[in-house]
Amino acid sequence: MQLTYPHMGEAYIAVKSLLDDVGVKSIIPAFTTSSTLKLGSSISPETICLPYKIMLGNYINSIKAGADSILITGSCGPCRFGYYGPLQRQALRDAGYKDIDIIILDPPREGYKKFYEALKKVAGGQHSKILPAFMNAYKVCCEVDSLNELVYFIRPRAVNKAKIRTIVNEFKKNVINTKGSVQMLELINETKNLIRKIDIDNSLNPIRIGIIGEIYTVIEPFTNLNAEERLGELGAEVHRSLTVRDWVRNTVILPATGRKGFKLEKKLSRPYLPTLIGGHSQECIGHAVHYANLGYDGLVQIYPMTCMPEIVSRSILPQVEKDYGIPILYLIVDEHTGEAGYQTRLEAFVDYIENNKPASCPQARNGRKHATFNTGLPH
Amino acid sequence: MAVKVGIPRGMYFYKYYPFIKTFLTELGAEVVPSPETTREILDKGVLYCIDDACLPVKVFHGHAYTLRDKVDFILIPRLTSISKSEYICPKFGGLPEMVKYSVPDLPPLVDTEINLIKNQKGLAKALYKMAFLLKFKNPLLIGRSINTAIRAHNNFMAAVHEGNTPDCVIASVPRRQYKSKIRIGLVGHPYLLYDNFTNMDLIKKLRSRGAEITTPDMIDPHIINELCMELPKRMFWSSGKSLIGSALFIMDRRSFDGLLLLSAFGCGVDSLAGEYIEKQARMYYKKPYMVLNIDEHTGDASFNTRIEAFFDLLNRRNSDAANLSAHGRSIYSS
Repeated sequence: MQLTYPHMGEAYIAVKSLLDDVGVKSIIPAFTTSSTLKLGSSISPETICLPYKIMLGNYINSIKAGADSILITGSCGPCRFGYYGPLQRQALRDAGYKDIDIIILDPPREGYKKFYEALKKVAGGQHSKILPAFMNAYKVCCEVDSLNELVYFIRPRAVNKAKIRTIVNEFKKNVINTKGSVQMLELINETKNLIRKIDIDNSLNPIRIGIIGEIYTVIEPFTNLNAEERLGELGAEVHRSLTVRDWVRNTVILPATGRKGFKLEKKLSRPYLPTLIGGHSQECIGHAVHYANLGYDGLVQIYPMTCMPEIVSRSILPQVEKDYGIPILYLIVDEHTGEAGYQTRLEAFVDYIENNKPASCPQARNGRKHATFNTGLPH
Repeated sequence: MAVKVGIPRGMYFYKYYPFIKTFLTELGAEVVPSPETTREILDKGVLYCIDDACLPVKVFHGHAYTLRDKVDFILIPRLTSISKSEYICPKFGGLPEMVKYSVPDLPPLVDTEINLIKNQKGLAKALYKMAFLLKFKNPLLIGRSINTAIRAHNNFMAAVHEGNTPDCVIASVPRRQYKSKIRIGLVGHPYLLYDNFTNMDLIKKLRSRGAEITTPDMIDPHIINELCMELPKRMFWSSGKSLIGSALFIMDRRSFDGLLLLSAFGCGVDSLAGEYIEKQARMYYKKPYMVLNIDEHTGDASFNTRIEAFFDLLNRRNSDAANLSAHGRSIYSS
């Protein structure tokens, strides 16, 4: 069995080390590019959301490389994601990939037997190894997050911004040749050390921007046209609200041990949206409030076009914007891959925030409400 | 003076209006529904709603805006779920907030949550809560009103099952016998099918061409449930379920000549349900099938052309196609 899985940002690092530890042969799909998207959208419904199309493209790339089974997670929430599996199976069959097995890991409450059988299929008789491998993979997730946070900190302050990009790309290249969680953790540590050696300008006081929105488009750099990197190179320190680790912790580990996930976000979003409506829309609003409380200077919401839960949070966020005086840029991503308009919008947003931020007192956000556009040049 | 409660004519209005109207009138409130959709209402909705919401949500915003200075309360219940372990659509769950934060100068909203995801008991609880919000404190009266409302709802459903469209039932227009040559199934969400402005009088146009129409609301929900059993995965949207179930029902029967799917651009449920129906229609059922997509546009010339083409297809199949194949088996019947 050659197992493959769709890309979702850095998720492949953790999934690879998990499958390596269990001892399952797996193939990392080629990194998502516009050709992947074209491949996927040629056999997708017209108005389905972006992740569906990209995932389908990932599968086909992997199948061409020799994979014969696909591992995805499922859900039965009110978001469309829950129905991806059955429809994608159908789409692949219609496209001529007949004997591809899609293994869907639905939440156990939908049927414990089904869940157990899916796990058995994945592990292939090695299921005693699953739990320790899972814990190690979670450790990898945590380390990847701390690596990312280091990158977020260094990137706007780095003297030579090309250098950090080289290190990050080198890291991505090396992940493919790494086997198991032990080697993976080592690799991450080496990369961290390399990044720490980069020259930074400590006198800078960059603006801070939080990225919120739909989890797939926030995590996957192809879909948001590298928003993190772009903002970092424009001189903003970014923070990503949702990561693979957060997802695993709040939807797998905490519920499995009888606790509830996303407690803080749910508490903060209660005045705006008191109930769960699906997707991560409550979490999106909760994160917005949380970032505002932490003193961030601006937020960027990213979501795929026609995403149902995020449309709801998009219409609530202007109220958060008013209540907390924090500017929000809304980016709706789709199959477009033109970067110019996107870059301009990000630049304008960063300029707007920098101009409105009082230079003498960087932490005083209250003063910004009354500031106008012409308070001075950036820096 | 009785408290005035406004009900926007959008979303599930054509499904639950008789129920909620009877409930509130029995309690002693005055019910004010918003007028039928017009150009102005649509324009106001487009103005206040965010850009990438779907058409029915925009229309709903327009209706809420029209009601704003006529009533004391606007009723926008949060319909999280209307049947066990099924949701409707995330936008229904967030509808009160979407309207509250988008439309200015609104009177207080009654946004009681109706959530039957676990069991049916939640309904009575939610209705009590709604009545308390409107300052009706007599529990006996509320209980009696609920019973009357359920009876009214059952009568309404019975009238719809007989073949009258819900908008006619609500306006108490009796069912007219049409001289029908053709029988087609018209599948879609109630807020698109019966809103005669946004769908550009689709039902009238179809009937004037001599077609008899069956919509999902006219089909027994038990049959729909049964047909949805054969889906590869449990469908967790009741709106998608009624779409798929009724489409399968219509395609299964020889008495229907064709199937039309009315969908709004950007509808999340339709993008999945429509895809499933299309795949089934192409693979197993050789029945004419067409998708009509509507948006904010109001020019109906191209819309008419497509309907005309569909009818040409149906008529030619009925008159010219020989239903006998070399194998001795009919190839065009399902």
